[in-house]
Amino acid sequence: MAHCTSLQYEPVAEIGGGAYGTVYKARDTESGKFVALKNVRVQTDQNGLPVSTVREVALLRRLEQFDHPNLVRLMDVCATQRSDQETKVTLVFEHVDQDLKTYLDRAPAPGLSPDRVKDLMRQLLCGLAFLHSNHVMHRDLKPENILVTSQGQVKLADFGLAKIYSCHMALTPVVVTLWYRPPEVLLQSTYATPVDIWSTGCIFAEMFRRKPLFCGESEMDQLGKIFEVIGLPPEEEWPAGVTVTRKNFAPVKSRPITDFVPEINEQGAKLLLQMLTFDPLKRISALNALDHPYFHDEETSTLTNSSSQAVEKCSRK
Amino acid sequence: MARTGFCDSKPLLDLHMKERRLSAQTTEGVIMGFHEDNRMGSAADECVAAPPALLYPHSLQGLPSLQTLVPSLLRHEVETALEKLSLIWDRPYAWDMFLDMMRTQTQTPLSNADLPHYFTNAARAILVDWIIQVHELMQFQEETLYLAIHLLNRSLRQLKVSTANLQLLGMVCLFIAAKKEESLLPEVSGLCSLMDHAYAKHQLLRMERKVLCTLKFDLSHCPALHFLLIFASVARCSAMVVWMARYLLELSLLEGQCVVFLPVQLAGAALCLARRVLQEPPTPEGEAAWCLASSIHVGSETALLRIMQILASAAAEAHETCATFIKFSSPETMHVSRHPGLKNTVALLGVCS
Repeated sequence: MAHCTSLQYEPVAEIGGGAYGTVYKARDTESGKFVALKNVRVQTDQNGLPVSTVREVALLRRLEQFDHPNLVRLMDVCATQRSDQETKVTLVFEHVDQDLKTYLDRAPAPGLSPDRVKDLMRQLLCGLAFLHSNHVMHRDLKPENILVTSQGQVKLADFGLAKIYSCHMALTPVVVTLWYRPPEVLLQSTYATPVDIWSTGCIFAEMFRRKPLFCGESEMDQLGKIFEVIGLPPEEEWPAGVTVTRKNFAPVKSRPITDFVPEINEQGAKLLLQMLTFDPLKRISALNALDHPYFHDEETSTLTNSSSQAVEKCSRK
Repeated sequence: MARTGFCDSKPLLDLHMKERRLSAQTTEGVIMGFHEDNRMGSAADECVAAPPALLYPHSLQGLPSLQTLVPSLLRHEVETALEKLSLIWDRPYAWDMFLDMMRTQTQTPLSNADLPHYFTNAARAILVDWIIQVHELMQFQEETLYLAIHLLNRSLRQLKVSTANLQLLGMVCLFIAAKKEESLLPEVSGLCSLMDHAYAKHQLLRMERKVLCTLKFDLSHCPALHFLLIFASVARCSAMVVWMARYLLELSLLEGQCVVFLPVQLAGAALCLARRVLQEPPTPEGEAAWCLASSIHVGSETALLRIMQILASAAAEAHETCATFIKFSSPETMHVSRHPGLKNTVALLGVCS
């Protein structure tokens, strides 16, 4: 077991660069199933594995015990020494063939049905609400790390890794996509769980559009593209202590969100705007989003819709 | 019938009668009355296992709220205890957290007390005693000790370790527990010198990786001590009882037979035994609170009794060289380990098997 990577798992193919290093598809020789291997290289000193790595991986394992239907399974973890200064931590996840990006690409012509979008969104928010209630931020939510099984089940991947990586990763020049980043991250202000809600909003729009909502090429360009849709926020909402000032941007007014996402229904549009709210403190939470009237129609309308029921409903899937 | 030592049924039933007469008057009074009534009812249930019909007067039968009040009262008390003990930040999440504690403790069960053939319970006790000394020296949190022994128990069963490396394994379990729980960490070189440099630093770090891989980084553990403090708070136990129970609970770490029991059971048994040993004069409020707290253990009376027997003989045999004995003989811990009552506790528990 201590040699899990070399013996138990046979690499089959490289499946994507990933922002933080290579990900391999491998076969578990014990079960015959495919797994995804993610290697994290952490810097170690004479005191062994860093405390942050020990705690973060332990937290992932702890989340695993809940067996949440909308999170990808973490099946195994192991640590191997590379050199005196570096230890490789290998995380063994269940392998799901398809991510949301390919799922959207493969959807036939008019795109996903409104009900399908709603179902995907509900599952996505359930996974997120669970992570947030356990004080875990995803921080890098995008269609590439939202997995969709052949049965249409949504599973979040790569959650909680951002912290493990950023603290002790051996630095590699990486290009991380800006398209799903919220304004507070682009402005390098403080941030918390609302970052994931912003990304979820971008993804919500993309499910209808089948192309990303904001495709910026730099931080400033990304902010400009955001303001073209939601309008330049008022001075009092601009975060304090950031170097980029509000004056750098044209004083644009917000435009109806349906100009950009014409297929969305009225309640959907309202929810989307609550997710794409500039001020992170005013942005809707995952739990409240699940309780939004957008999710209330059809079969759920007979129930009194409390968020806990919504959570229960989708976690049963 | 094996008595579990939760309470004495006679005064409780008397109390039950007295309390019932008080229930009535205002709406609030009625609710309070039901609380009291039901508390007594459940307590009496546990003690004498009489059919419920005898305990609930006919006038109160058929009130649906009656059955639900005990859980809600218990819930309220547990939430208050968690808050008092600063184990939670947000009261709305308190009950969920408690349920999660109850569930988590069953995640990594040890099905039997069997140790690898080369390792005896006596050797295990020596190792644990040494870990307790190092833990004390490092001034770590109590949670760190409970986690370290939990990691040790699991590692011993999943990892092949030579006898020569057992001390190293013990130290590494404490080190990993400290990484999880502590804000200040000792240097590895310091740990090596505590082991008289019998092992090199790289050996310790290799063992660290080995243990973490074997346990798959599963480091979550709900220490029995937390359950003990919660129950003691719900049951309004005196400081003396709590210290005595903490002493007994720490002794359970040294007992190889105790590894198969759940933290919640170990905590319950330690408190029961502490009450038996100290024989504090009962008060109606204290007994009522105790019965409410012990309603958590309904159904595990046999396990509790078994643990109490193990702990009673451990306490009777504990001597002045034992780190736990020394720790709990200090004035801050009210000298509980020197309490004369501990010497004849086994007899106190009677002849039950």
